[in-house]
Amino acid sequence: MLPPMARKAITDDPKKLANLIDLVNLPSTLREFVGQSQISRLGFFNSVWSYIKTNNLQDPNNKNVVNCDEKLKMILLGKPQIELAELPMLIKLHFPKDPK
Amino acid sequence: MRKKIPPFLRPLNLLRRNYQTKSHPLPTQQLTSTPPPPPPPPPPPQQPYSVSSDKRTKKNSLQPSPSTKPIFTSRSLTDAKKTFDYILSTSPFPLDTRHNNSLLESYTQVATLDDSISFLAHMRMKQPSFSPDSSTYNVMLCQSCKLHLSFVDDLSIVRKVLDFMAADGFSPGHGTVDLVVRFLCSVGREERAILLVKEFSAKYSPPDIFTYNFLIRHLCKTMSIDSVYGFIDEMRDSFSMKPDIVTYTILIDSVCNRKNLREARRLIGVLGEAGFKSDAFLYNTIMKGYCTLSRGSEVVGVYKEMMEKGIEPDVVTYNTMIFGLSKVGRLDEARKYLSVMAEMGHFPDTVTYTSLMNGMCRKGDAIGALRLLGEMEGMGCEPNSVTYNTLLHGLCKSRLLDKGLELYEVMKSKEMKLEPASYATFVRMLCREDRIAGAYEVYDYVVESKSLTDCAAYEGLENELKWLKKAKAKAQGIA
Repeated sequence: MLPPMARKAITDDPKKLANLIDLVNLPSTLREFVGQSQISRLGFFNSVWSYIKTNNLQDPNNKNVVNCDEKLKMILLGKPQIELAELPMLIKLHFPKDPK
Repeated sequence: MRKKIPPFLRPLNLLRRNYQTKSHPLPTQQLTSTPPPPPPPPPPPQQPYSVSSDKRTKKNSLQPSPSTKPIFTSRSLTDAKKTFDYILSTSPFPLDTRHNNSLLESYTQVATLDDSISFLAHMRMKQPSFSPDSSTYNVMLCQSCKLHLSFVDDLSIVRKVLDFMAADGFSPGHGTVDLVVRFLCSVGREERAILLVKEFSAKYSPPDIFTYNFLIRHLCKTMSIDSVYGFIDEMRDSFSMKPDIVTYTILIDSVCNRKNLREARRLIGVLGEAGFKSDAFLYNTIMKGYCTLSRGSEVVGVYKEMMEKGIEPDVVTYNTMIFGLSKVGRLDEARKYLSVMAEMGHFPDTVTYTSLMNGMCRKGDAIGALRLLGEMEGMGCEPNSVTYNTLLHGLCKSRLLDKGLELYEVMKSKEMKLEPASYATFVRMLCREDRIAGAYEVYDYVVESKSLTDCAAYEGLENELKWLKKAKAKAQGIA
C-alpha cells in the first residue's frame, strides 16, 4: 500500500544535506528557546527532542503523544498536545526553504 | 647579553637555564649541587660535512629561541647541539646506537632536514665511536617524511636524505624505499610513490616484492586498471621486476571488485601462461569475485576445479562458498557445504553462520535464522554485530517486530552498532506499528552509539514519519 521505498541516502544529495545542517538565523521566539542565535534544523530538532525528554513531556499513557508546556507551545504553533510523529514537520515549518 | 658569554661557557649557561626554568628529568641531587662544567667543546679537527659548518654559523646569527624543553622542542640547531653535548657529558654510560637514534629521531621531529643532517654530523663528531647504521638514516627519513611530505608535494626531501645516505656509504636498501612508499601511500600520494620507485630503481636497486605488491594494491584502489598495467609493464621492461602470484591475486581481486569478469578471466589465463601455480588464495579471490558479481552459483564450479587440481580449500574458501550460495538462495547446498566443511576439519565460524542467516533472511525465513543463532551459540561461536544486524534486518522484513525488539535489546546490552539497512527497516517497522516513541528511542541509540551520522539517522526517521503521514492521509481519504 505504501509507495516503494525508493529512497536515496540524504548524504548523497548535498543540497538536502545543506538544508539539514546549515546554520540558520533564528527568529526571536526560537532564539529564546534554544538560547543561541543560530542553529541548524537538525540541531533544533535535537534540542527540542532532548527538551521533551528532560522535562518528561511525553504522555505517560501514550508515549507517542507529547503534552506541550508553555515553552514548547511557543514554538509549536501553540498546540497543547502534539504527536511525536509530526514533530519533524512542525520543526520544518520554522526552516522555510530558500526561495530559488 | 648572551653573545658576551664565551662559547665554552654557553653549555653551562644553557644548563643552568634548564635547571632553573624547566622540569628537566634529572635527579634532584644534581639539581642542588652545581653541576661540573662540561668540557668545552674541542675545536673540531675536521668538519666531516661542509654543510654543517656553514649551517652552524648561520644558526648562530639567528639567536635560538629561549625555550629548551626536554629533550628537543626547539628547532634551533645550536640548542640541540648543546643539549646533546650535555647529555653526552653527564650520561653515566656511553651512548649506543639506539640512544643516538632516538635522540636524532626526537630532534628530527621538530627540525628542518638540513638541521637534522648537521645534528647527525655533530653527533658523529662528538662521539668517534658512534657509527650510524642504516637504521639511523631510516629514522631520519621516516621523521622528515612525516614532517614535510604531508604538506609539500615534492620529493626533494626524500631525494636529499637518500643522497645523503648514499654519500655516507649506505646504499639505500629495500627497507628505505618501503618506508617512503608506505608513507606516501598512507597520505594518498600514489603518483609520487610511483615516481619515487622508478627513480629509486634506476639509481639503486628495484624494490623488493613486498613493497612492490603493497604499492600495486594501493594503486588498484585509486587508479584505473590500465595505469596499473602501465606501471607493471614499465617495471618489468625497465627494471626486470616481474609480478608474482600475489600481484596477480591482487589484480584479479581488483578487477572483480570493478565487476570486470572478462578481464579477470584474461588475467587467470595470463597467470597460467606465466607458469604460476594457482593457490587457495587465488581461488578464494575468484570465488569472492563471483560473489561480488552476484553469480554465487558459479562458486561450486570453482570449488570443483580446486578439488581437481588438488588444492586444499581453507576456511575462507568455505565461507565464501556458503556466502555465495546463500546470497543466490541455494540454501540447501550451502547447508550441505557446512557439513562438508566440518568433515574437512574446519570449524564454521561467525562469518559462516552469518552468511547462512543472511541467506535465510533473504528467503524470508527469519525464524529459521533465529534458530540458527541459538545453534551457533550452542557451538560456542560468538555472534558479532554483523550477525545481529543481519538478523534484525531479516526479522523486521518478515514483520516480526517483537522478536526484533528483543534482539535490539540484546544488541543494546552488547553496545553493538546498527547498520544503515537494519536501522532503516527497524525504524520503518516501528513507525508502521505506531510505536513512534520506540522509533525515537532507536534514533537516540543510533546517534549515541555513533552507528550512523546524525544526519543519516535523522533523515531515516523523518522519512519514515513522512511516509506514515501520507499513508494515514490516504487511509482516511479511502475511509
